[in-house]
Amino acid sequence: MDTVASTGKLNKEEIFDLMKQFITEVIGEEFVEEMDITTESSFTKDLEMDSIEIVSFSEKIKAHFGDQIDFTGWLSSMDLDQLINLNLGMIINYIYECQ
Amino acid sequence: MAKFVFIVPPLTGHINPTLSMGAVLLERGHRVGWITLDESLAARLPEGGELLHISYDENDEQKRESEQYLDIITKKIVYGIDSLKFLYEEVLIPLNRHSYDGIIHLLDQFEPDLVITDHQMFAGAIAATNKGLPYATSVTAPAAIKVMEELPKVHEWEMNQVIGLQQEFGVDVPTPIVCSDLLTMVLTSQAFFGDMELTPNFRFTGPVINRPATKTAFDWDKLKESNNPKILISIGTTFDHEHKKSFFSKVIEAFGNEDITAVVVSDPDLFEQWPANFIVQRHVPQLDLLPHLDAVVCHGGHNTVCETLSNGLPMVVIPIAYDQSHVAGRVVRTGAGERLNFNRFKAHHLKEAVNTVLNNPAYKESAEVIKQSFLEAGGTATAADLLEQVASKQSLEVLKN
Repeated sequence: MDTVASTGKLNKEEIFDLMKQFITEVIGEEFVEEMDITTESSFTKDLEMDSIEIVSFSEKIKAHFGDQIDFTGWLSSMDLDQLINLNLGMIINYIYECQ
Repeated sequence: MAKFVFIVPPLTGHINPTLSMGAVLLERGHRVGWITLDESLAARLPEGGELLHISYDENDEQKRESEQYLDIITKKIVYGIDSLKFLYEEVLIPLNRHSYDGIIHLLDQFEPDLVITDHQMFAGAIAATNKGLPYATSVTAPAAIKVMEELPKVHEWEMNQVIGLQQEFGVDVPTPIVCSDLLTMVLTSQAFFGDMELTPNFRFTGPVINRPATKTAFDWDKLKESNNPKILISIGTTFDHEHKKSFFSKVIEAFGNEDITAVVVSDPDLFEQWPANFIVQRHVPQLDLLPHLDAVVCHGGHNTVCETLSNGLPMVVIPIAYDQSHVAGRVVRTGAGERLNFNRFKAHHLKEAVNTVLNNPAYKESAEVIKQSFLEAGGTATAADLLEQVASKQSLEVLKN
């Protein structure tokens, strides 16, 4: 659930699984089952998330990591092209580096 | 008597409110013109309204260019955040660039006391500024002025496109001038718009709803013969055939032969047969119809959402592009409806969402709260009052100098 994690540093695979869980919570399990989610998956084109869904995804990251990671700050620095090109791998790297 | 001129893009949702405002100004004895690329608007103007058609001394190429803007927005299927890039880069900026000279020429000819420019007709604000004419702004898609706190750079990117165009036409200021300092009318209520600090030049008029003069035929007997809940399904016109087919297949699967009457806005020829509990028409008299309905399924166009909420009806919003995701977000936030993802939703989601908004009275109650806020904002009469006030204040300024 959305609780601030007290465990140690996650490796990239663990972060990937966590992100996949958040995506599932935002767009629903039955849709995720039909998708092949990889680190290459882009939020707009592949996952077909719109702005409101991306924001709700970022709220989940915030709820999980708390002050440890300024994810919303990072997201808010993105311009339109960066948002369009944003993929899962970029987010995993960012979270990994921030820990 | 004053002379008002509206500058409108060739987009129905942006034109309709100006027709209502213009009609009231004409009734009050003013002169009113409409500057537009779309010559066919003449037939829809209120009595006494003057069409000021943007046309150029034509070599044919320019003429063709004019025509391509009339339906450019329907030419490409765009979705989500990508659609904003398309909207600005391929529609709004070229449309405004193309319109600018024509607007300047028509302003010289009409000599208005007050220009009212649509917030997406940046060229209107630029032309008025360069001509030294006072202008007001009509914000017909209010989501466009709302900065998403979480994604501020999106709005910044949009505004940079506008600033670039301003500079092209010699307005050398580092901020967008499209929202007038004199008066920027936001055509919704603060309650529906949501929290955001705005300067006093921004005024919420409530929705300015246009009642078309012509009557659209409708199968009222079939609607009234059943006591089942009645819903309208209207998803706009900007799709290709395949998308429509896939969308309405899901609608049929969700509501076919259920205890519900579904009024569907669609080309009836899309399917050979529709379920017996469906009323399918290419056009419906939406404003006359809404008071007889229990809920609406739509794509989140601002006008349809406002008309639905003005009738205190709950809704299910399935946004596709542009500001629709935001409008859908407001519907959910105010409690007046549910949203679905256009690309992902399945028939059973639609059925569940519609049943939820029909059966849980909280949705209708929330819609009634927004309806009340619309009534308090005033609508067309408030907008016309504000425009008259600005025009008379401006003419006093002119006399003083």
